Amino acid sequence: MTTRIEAFGEQAFLVVLGGGVDPAVNRRAHRLAAALRDDRAAGGPWATPVPGYESVLVRFDPRVSKAAQAQRRLERLVERVDPAPTSPGDPEADQDTDPHPIVELQVRYGGPDGPDLAPVAERLRLSQSALIDLHAGQTYQVFLLGFSPGFAYLGPLPEALRLPRREVPRPRVPAGSVAIAELQTAVYPAATPGGWHLIGRTDARLWDPAQTPAGAPGPRGSHPIRAARPLRPLS
Amino acid sequence: MLEVISPGLLDTVQDLGFTQGADLGVPRAGACDAWSLAVACRLLGDPPEVAALEMTGSGPTLAVRRTCVVALAGADLGAHVPEEGRLLPPGTAQLVHAGTRIAFDGGRGPEGGTPSGGHGVSGARPTAGWRTYLGLAGGIDVPKALGSRSTCLAGAFGGLEGRALRAGDLLRPGRPDDLGAPGRRWPTGGPDPVRARPLRLLPSPATLGGPAAGAFEALLAGTWRVGAVDRLGLRLDGPPLPADREAAGRLVSRGVIPGAVQVLPDGTPVVLLADAQTVGGYPVAGVVIGADLPWLGQLGPGDRVRFRAITPARARVARTALERRFALLAARLERGPAWDLLADAAG
Repeated sequence: MTTRIEAFGEQAFLVVLGGGVDPAVNRRAHRLAAALRDDRAAGGPWATPVPGYESVLVRFDPRVSKAAQAQRRLERLVERVDPAPTSPGDPEADQDTDPHPIVELQVRYGGPDGPDLAPVAERLRLSQSALIDLHAGQTYQVFLLGFSPGFAYLGPLPEALRLPRREVPRPRVPAGSVAIAELQTAVYPAATPGGWHLIGRTDARLWDPAQTPAGAPGPRGSHPIRAARPLRPLS
Repeated sequence: MLEVISPGLLDTVQDLGFTQGADLGVPRAGACDAWSLAVACRLLGDPPEVAALEMTGSGPTLAVRRTCVVALAGADLGAHVPEEGRLLPPGTAQLVHAGTRIAFDGGRGPEGGTPSGGHGVSGARPTAGWRTYLGLAGGIDVPKALGSRSTCLAGAFGGLEGRALRAGDLLRPGRPDDLGAPGRRWPTGGPDPVRARPLRLLPSPATLGGPAAGAFEALLAGTWRVGAVDRLGLRLDGPPLPADREAAGRLVSRGVIPGAVQVLPDGTPVVLLADAQTVGGYPVAGVVIGADLPWLGQLGPGDRVRFRAITPARARVARTALERRFALLAARLERGPAWDLLADAAG
């Protein structure tokens, strides 16, 4: 579908690429967000862009650019960075030219660390070890961060692991809980309420605002994780 | 310097919010009523970028450990110095002396409802508004996180240790020896977020409004009452908004902003505030304009809410006009008469 630029309030734009949960579309959203950050450094009126699955929200400072100017600048940027594909499924258009380090997360699956592992395995008609193998066997894309600081929506989950979120969310999940719901998996960075199925736990610290250079929190003070791969700890 | 004897309903250190971290799940945070925050800071000669204490509903009791100047702005939650029987009304800067306390005697308690009610509050007086701001000279001295002194409750960082104030917490002014502002009074007659009026609403982006066709019109047509409020948002009680459940279920998460009116699966409207999550997957019925966010930030439980439509161009004019109004009022503040004699005589 064609990219749409929609006003969100009087001081922000939502760039909608469309397509639902699709890793290739999501990579385009991230490229657009990166281009907006670069454009800000070049004098653009942008606040920090917020990628979604298939969109980017960006606020602008009206003291830097009037709305019409900002919109034109955004349109030109979108055309330059995310041109309409000349043919469907153009492989060149999806070149992931910015290789991201893969963060590996040691996960303790099941037991007290993953109280939902057994019931979920039963519901999915898998053995627990098959479920663990499937979950730990993937490298996941970070679709977006949201819900709470450092909460990364990772996916897509293999078909066999998909199920709706819990009927009744927990009022509090342990920090580091590894969870699944629908097409996604995630690690809860802090003890917050949580509606996803808890299958394990990691000690990896995914969020530490103190441990950051001016700018980008993330593991080891580097850029936020773009891809993550759960690993079972060697026993 | 002030010490918390007993905390209020929700007291947090806030400035104008985080400009970094929106793509990492860090909400904007900052004062829900940025106008009143700016008034409290300006009364002490500071820009709104310094931090003040945001108090909600019913305020804390604070001990004055070291004589200092405080400024209050926003809702009148009955701030006073019990030892002196002296009121600290919003819109004033006053000297408070070591050995005395600042207590809040009015406002509304956690149950909300009628303004003159109050949970465990004696001598409650009727109030309007829901939040008040207490400023110290040079701002409240706390370290910055991600470039801001606001409190990120969701991430448990920023402000004072990433949490609401507790008994024993100390609030230090950035300029502890600056006692130069007592007696300043914010000029009356200007915009006042505590005086409720209809909130001006823009239509939502098409993608987000689609599954809630008719919801924008329903918001404009209805009269709503504030149900639950916290820093993330306020729920509106009233007839459920129309929404296409199936289409709504297909929406994927994308960035949202404070002021957006989300439609929950049961049709309840929720207006997002400063601590709202950065992304959401619910349909959006409309967006409250930036210039009206301070008024949104002063709505408390039981308050009546109405919306009216506005064009994007007028919404932008409203924002610029509000900024200009603030500058004009602040300029009159500096040129106003000194009230030092009155303030010092009372002390």
